[in-house]
Amino acid sequence: MKGLGRVRLEGIEKRYGTVSALKTVNLEIRPNEFFALLGPSGSGKTTTLRLIAGLEIPSTGHILFDDQDVTDASPGERDIAMVFQSYALYPHMTVAENIGFPLRMSGVPKRQLASLVRDAAARVRIDHLLDRRPGQLSGGQQQRCALARAIVRKPRLFLLDEPLSNLDAKLRVETRVELKSLQRDLNVTAIYVTHDQEEAMTLADRMAIFMDGEIVQIGAPAAIFERPATLAVAGFIGSPPMNLVRAHADGAAVRVGDTVTPWHGRIPGPPRDIMLGVRPGDIAADGQGLLAEVYVSELLGETTIVNLKIGAELVKMRVNGGSPFRDGEQIRVRLDPNRLHLFERDTGKRIEVEADSK
Amino acid sequence: MTRGGVRRRLAKALIPASATAVLALWAFPIFWAIVVALKSESEVLAFPPSLVFKPTLANFGDSLVGRFSILPEMWTSLVISSVATLLTIVLAVPASYAFARLRLPAGKFLGFYVLATQMLPPVGLVIPYFLILNRVGWLDTYQGMITVYLTFSLPFAIWLMVSFMEDIPREMEEAAAIDRASRLKTLWYIILPQVRGGIAVTVVFVFLNCWDEFLFAVQLSGNHVRPVTVAMYNFVSVEQTLWAKLSAASLIAMVPVIAIGFAAQRHIVKGLTVGAVKGGGRR
Repeated sequence: MKGLGRVRLEGIEKRYGTVSALKTVNLEIRPNEFFALLGPSGSGKTTTLRLIAGLEIPSTGHILFDDQDVTDASPGERDIAMVFQSYALYPHMTVAENIGFPLRMSGVPKRQLASLVRDAAARVRIDHLLDRRPGQLSGGQQQRCALARAIVRKPRLFLLDEPLSNLDAKLRVETRVELKSLQRDLNVTAIYVTHDQEEAMTLADRMAIFMDGEIVQIGAPAAIFERPATLAVAGFIGSPPMNLVRAHADGAAVRVGDTVTPWHGRIPGPPRDIMLGVRPGDIAADGQGLLAEVYVSELLGETTIVNLKIGAELVKMRVNGGSPFRDGEQIRVRLDPNRLHLFERDTGKRIEVEADSK
Repeated sequence: MTRGGVRRRLAKALIPASATAVLALWAFPIFWAIVVALKSESEVLAFPPSLVFKPTLANFGDSLVGRFSILPEMWTSLVISSVATLLTIVLAVPASYAFARLRLPAGKFLGFYVLATQMLPPVGLVIPYFLILNRVGWLDTYQGMITVYLTFSLPFAIWLMVSFMEDIPREMEEAAAIDRASRLKTLWYIILPQVRGGIAVTVVFVFLNCWDEFLFAVQLSGNHVRPVTVAMYNFVSVEQTLWAKLSAASLIAMVPVIAIGFAAQRHIVKGLTVGAVKGGGRR
């Protein structure tokens, strides 16, 4: 019987000898949610996925699927399917045999198996390749074959470990869209590991950000983009990422270098050095504000990233169209006072600002 | 012509020439065995050796079905070698899988143990083996010879197959585990089909070693159980050596080994090049 697909991790830790790969992870993934585990390599996201899959056993803590403890259950008992980064297709089997393998191991009768395999293959549009072997497929087709093998059994949980990272850029964007619609059609919980923040932002309903074996923030992509909880998250989310510059805060005044940058709000606590974050799109060159030197411009097509030197800091500003500036030109830029992010310099924590309204 | 051009042409001519030379060197004993086997015993001993003679198949006839027939001994060798090879594979497959996959402390010593068994002078083991087999009453028996050959072939086979097993990505098994395959089913459906080449290579090596073995065969068997290598030794005696019949018998004894080599050829080439190129769909 198909469960709901609710996943709960309670106090999960994973140690390899003396090395701690995961430090106390608590996480709840809701039924039918597309949930991304995002983080740089070595941050613990893949370990978390492998724990959920049952390929690793946690050192402490519990894993619950639909309120049922599966911490010690084998992968086969968990009613899950997984797409590996390498696809892990069986090279000696045809596409049809690959897709049918989980059904065969579940004891599905032959005739039913063949029609289920055809359906799954048709869903990812490889039903014309059923007699080929993985070695005769393109990267994109192999990826689809792995997807078909995962969906054929209609699992309660669908795990994806960087499934798009081996595809070229164009195919990756196309497949991303299909993956999202596939998950919606199947109405199944999907847990998706990636180090590509853009992928996570576009696909996920919610996501958890991993840094150094810990979850530093959980939330909807837009919410995390708007209010990153730490300096590290701020520097990780967004493309290009948020500018982070040294600043000094004293009550209502935030100073970058010698210039007071206007903003609306009040910082609690004593005057201190902080980090000021501002996204490239929230900087405008309108003749007032901080003095900056145009360092170099990168045309991206519809927009241009203008690299600025403000004092000793290098700051990226996004402008529409081509760059209106010459390299080396002195300009003045204004940081959008409503869209500044302040972080403690020592702990990296976001400073919750008093009267953070207009 | 440029200097590089000359060098290339020289290399082009030299490589086939040296290959032919090596091949000739390697093939000469076999060629000579054929020549000798086709002569009569008296012609063999003529000096200088006659290159023009009237060929006869009598020696082959004698060695096959005649007075000197080695067919019973070939059957004995076939039984010993086949059973030893079969047992070796049956035991080495799960053992090598375990060595390749499970983190066993003994794994580190496997390579050393294998090398050690290859380095030991076999003659040093003859007496211990003799004493052991004598104690259990297995001297001059099939089970005795098979056991002795197993002790040599098993570590070698495990060591050889571990490398084939290690070439299979772990993710393949993890995928199988998620697809609800047990360890045994994973071994059967996922691992074994992918190490067919390795098994073929191992079968050939192990069979060859058992078939060709002489030292233990002559010391630990020879009356009730007589392998073909021992039988051939009987052509050599104090009074006379039947060189022509010995040559014919040697050539006949080579046939099964050559047959196995041909049968496994396709797999062997595949097996020996494993890891040279990335397998399709693996990565």
